[in-house]
Amino acid sequence: MIEAAKLTKWYGPTRAIDELTFAIPKGQIVGFLGPNGAGKSTTLRILTGYLPPTAGTATIAGHDIHTASAAARRQIGYLPESTPLYPEMRVEEYLHYRGRLMGMDRKQRHERVAVVCERCGLAHNRRRVIGHLSKGNRQRVGIAQALLHEPPVLILDEPTAGLDPVQIGEVRKLIEELRGQHTVLLSSHILPEVEKSADRVIIIAGGRIVAQGTPDELRQKVRAGGPIILEAKADAKALAASLEQLKQVAKVETEAINGWCRATVTPRDDSDLREAVGRAVFDQGFALREMRHETASLEAFFVQITAEQSMEPMHNAQ
Amino acid sequence: MNTTFTIARRELSSLFFSPIAYVVFGLFAIGAALIFFTGFGSGQPATMRPTFDGVVWLLIFLAPAISMRLVSDEFRTGTIEPLMTAPLSDAQVILGKWLGAMGFYLVLLVPLVVLAVVLAIHASPDPGPIVTGLIGLTLVGGLYLAIGIFASAMTENQIIAFLATVFIISLLTFLMFFLPRAAWVLPALRDAMFYLNVNGQFADFNRGLIDLANFTYFATGIALFLFLAVKVLESKRWR
Repeated sequence: MIEAAKLTKWYGPTRAIDELTFAIPKGQIVGFLGPNGAGKSTTLRILTGYLPPTAGTATIAGHDIHTASAAARRQIGYLPESTPLYPEMRVEEYLHYRGRLMGMDRKQRHERVAVVCERCGLAHNRRRVIGHLSKGNRQRVGIAQALLHEPPVLILDEPTAGLDPVQIGEVRKLIEELRGQHTVLLSSHILPEVEKSADRVIIIAGGRIVAQGTPDELRQKVRAGGPIILEAKADAKALAASLEQLKQVAKVETEAINGWCRATVTPRDDSDLREAVGRAVFDQGFALREMRHETASLEAFFVQITAEQSMEPMHNAQ
Repeated sequence: MNTTFTIARRELSSLFFSPIAYVVFGLFAIGAALIFFTGFGSGQPATMRPTFDGVVWLLIFLAPAISMRLVSDEFRTGTIEPLMTAPLSDAQVILGKWLGAMGFYLVLLVPLVVLAVVLAIHASPDPGPIVTGLIGLTLVGGLYLAIGIFASAMTENQIIAFLATVFIISLLTFLMFFLPRAAWVLPALRDAMFYLNVNGQFADFNRGLIDLANFTYFATGIALFLFLAVKVLESKRWR
């Protein structure tokens, strides 16, 4: 539904994105993730036809964003970053205005405005002036506007930015309801927000794709390797000595806590150390009260992978 | 075309929500009334000509106040993004905004019609020059607003847009009005300057003349500045 091929964008001497290539099949919800300044908004702005790419192409539902721009734009419902709206207009009035720009006739507009207001929880605020609405309600207007013309593709730039946890939950629920009918590409710099609703996550940093896959796949990648932390009732030196004998172990750091010892064990490669370490601890007869991966959450993986990218700009992970 | 009118309609209604519009309307109405009543009395000629001649100078400052926010405000608040990602062309955006501003400008001229009616109650003026004068004022306003949109598309800052518009209009009015009257200017240049002078072009309308040449002048000017505004808007995408 959305296909990008080697999209590149330079702002003067600064390269914002570098040969981004990805494809999003119909009906999927895809999270577009990256730290601030990674090139998320730039990519979304190119896909929506607001900015032209310096090089590369993209198609929306088969329409090239450059050669068939108007046709491609018609397929998209777009919520720009920070939800720009006209503050002096009433909610209903604004939605009708957007409907007219999208080429909807009077009857369609009346039907669809009622539907999207209901769906986005704006039914009670339809007559209110946008400038008087809360941030959460403004965000609803932005999403309602994007859904108005029933676009097959929805592009939402940070739909949950600046909302409170309850509102974030509401927006997420709304996005999940769109699964199947719409292809959704939403960006965020906060991973847990996309982790739950997205079918697939694309992580970008420094203008490049550094990882992509389903949240589970990415989580497995994290679980498989990485340092583990354990706490055992043992003398720090004895524990370290027994663990260092294991051939997969690269490094052991220990710290004594009230008679217990906390050890951080780093593997040589991506192998899972837990089984071998567990056996070694029991063989020595130490009591074990905790063992876990240091980078258990996708969040940590995200931080790690995006930090690597910014430290080593030439290194391309994937 | 429908989308162009959609934008025009929104622009017009949003102008009525802005305090600047009311200030402009008030200043224009008071200014026009002052000029009108200065020459109003028994024994005075029953004509709107001095009033129209006066307000055409007022427009140098008032028209840019209407046009200054048209595009710059969209850039400042970011609303330009949903607008430019909707399936419509940059030309439709500019034309729609100009038409919306023209709609407001026509409302601005209503006090002049009221003053003409006041004149008609007390005397019997020739309606011809009043009608052509109003047509001329409409064209002058159209040109100034086109210049204003062009300036507004260049900057996010309304004040800069206002000053830039006043500057360009000043070249076409003050400069082209006073410079050709200087003795040292070459005769050929002098003719060109008289031609470019907005007040000179308007004077014919005010005299009751309808000349294709005057229409051509304003139509070309409006088309040129709207075209430039579209190009500026397009170029913004590339930055």
